[in-house]
Amino acid sequence: MMNHMLAFERVSKVYGEKTNQTAALKDVSLEVKAGEFVAIIGPSGSGKSTLLSMAGLLLSPTNGNVYLDNVEITKLSEKERAQLRLQKIGFVFQASNLIPYLSVLDQLLLIGKLASNSKGMKQRADRLLKELGLSHRTHHFPAQLSGGEKQRVAIARAWMNDPEIILADEPTASLDSKRGREVVEMLASEVKRKGKAGIMVTHDERVLDLCDHVYTIKDGVLHLDDKVLFSGQMQE
Amino acid sequence: MFLAIREMMYAKLRYFLIGFIMVLITWLVFMIAGLANGLSADNASAIQQINANSFILQSEAESKINRSQVNMVQWKSVEQQVKEGQATPLGVKMAAISKIGKSKKIDITVFAVDPKEFLMPVVIQGKSMNNNEKREVVVDQSLQQEGINIGDWIVDTDTSSKWKVVGFTKNKSYSHSPVIFMNLSSWKAWTKKDTFQAIVLRETDSKIKIDQQLEFVPKEQVLESTPGYKEEQGSLQMMIAFLFVIASFIQAVFFYVITLQKSHQFGVLKAIGANTKFLAQSVVAQILSISIVTVVVSIGLTYGSAFVLPDSVPFLLETNTSVGFSVLMIVVSLVGALLSVYHISKVEAIDAIGRVE
Repeated sequence: MMNHMLAFERVSKVYGEKTNQTAALKDVSLEVKAGEFVAIIGPSGSGKSTLLSMAGLLLSPTNGNVYLDNVEITKLSEKERAQLRLQKIGFVFQASNLIPYLSVLDQLLLIGKLASNSKGMKQRADRLLKELGLSHRTHHFPAQLSGGEKQRVAIARAWMNDPEIILADEPTASLDSKRGREVVEMLASEVKRKGKAGIMVTHDERVLDLCDHVYTIKDGVLHLDDKVLFSGQMQE
Repeated sequence: MFLAIREMMYAKLRYFLIGFIMVLITWLVFMIAGLANGLSADNASAIQQINANSFILQSEAESKINRSQVNMVQWKSVEQQVKEGQATPLGVKMAAISKIGKSKKIDITVFAVDPKEFLMPVVIQGKSMNNNEKREVVVDQSLQQEGINIGDWIVDTDTSSKWKVVGFTKNKSYSHSPVIFMNLSSWKAWTKKDTFQAIVLRETDSKIKIDQQLEFVPKEQVLESTPGYKEEQGSLQMMIAFLFVIASFIQAVFFYVITLQKSHQFGVLKAIGANTKFLAQSVVAQILSISIVTVVVSIGLTYGSAFVLPDSVPFLLETNTSVGFSVLMIVVSLVGALLSVYHISKVEAIDAIGRVE
């Protein structure tokens, strides 16, 4: 288990009552190492979001175990998981999901407030915004930003708590292909540079070549599918 | 507070509008409270301001002082049982008077008191009266507006009894009419009877033996039994109660609708690490700041409008009434916040992630 930032061990998730059960995930195993950026693709309803929610400690598996930074999270209480989420996980949502009434800087500082840790947060925020080319947008509100900028702010926000793992839920969904690619490039390079783990759920096959591994999920069953990756690279 | 302040600054118009509605309602609450107080004072200040706890009235009078009859024997029996200065008789009778030489009639209430006892009001202008002089009266200042001055003679239009105004007192009215104070011998000469309406006791003392036809009645009850008092106060108080309910609901609904609208946003906040407490604090902080600003602005507006109201409108807002209603308004707002807090506690972080299959 060592060196795995995130590991799923024969995980399954069943929704519904006895007579009306649906399995969202079936016996899924997955390992993501530090410095790895992994994509999960699949049609809607395939279990992608369930998988991502579980990786983000928002859902517990019905069976199997999930390890985050070598801690078995299935054994933790709700409160411990919330704490762990704040410390170790960064989320990038579909359509960025920034808080409309916070300026770009405040979006980032909020994370410090939530962690009751405002020390050095301002410098950290300034540095992240600079890295992501957003320094000139520091005091703008989300409504004043372009789609790509919003998503970059969301990425900066995800890095604010210095997480071990970044989870991205369709980060390119609201962007054109050029912007979408830029955003994923940014995510992938940051993950590698900082030696963190990244998981991206996506529909967008044009950005898969930026990932280290590609998994496909269909009806709750996960396959490693690096063929897609190579075909993507060959096109390039 | 981090979120609360920034959100209010960002959506200024939205919060200004709800604040504006709240100001109007709170302002109305204070105005009606002031009017209720004012009317109450206008109606029965002469009873309100009596520095005593208890009245002895005739049992059949149903706490109504003007219906009660206490005779001399009954009074003497009480007088023997109490220390000096603890009990005094009070005669009350409504009448119509006019200034001598004028035909205009004015409704007044006569209070017959012992000038040496505690029922005698403070004279603010002119001289006081004593027990020796008959036909001297101290009258409420409001009669000045009717053209009656010190030294003028007034006449009871029914019996043609005449009295000389020797002094003014202030804020003494009963059943919305100004009160004229006279001594007990003037009273006896005027009514041609040896009876009073009540015996007023400084302190409630159940050890005092009273005639079976009499009963002890607390001052509050006498006040409420003043003609028209309960009806006036009742309808105004009902309005105030309704306004509190309306204010509470308006705020509760406003914040609840906003909270519903922001469900997804709360989900995102929870996913990035905010807990219910943090988010609930934000909503409560918003409601608190709006209601505090609202109350302060409304108090300002109320005193401002009281200033421009004509003197004939009875308006009286005491500090403890405004403080009490301010606190109540804030509490009521916070109760309304519970609905939003409940909804926030139900939002789950998982709502932020796509659709969960």
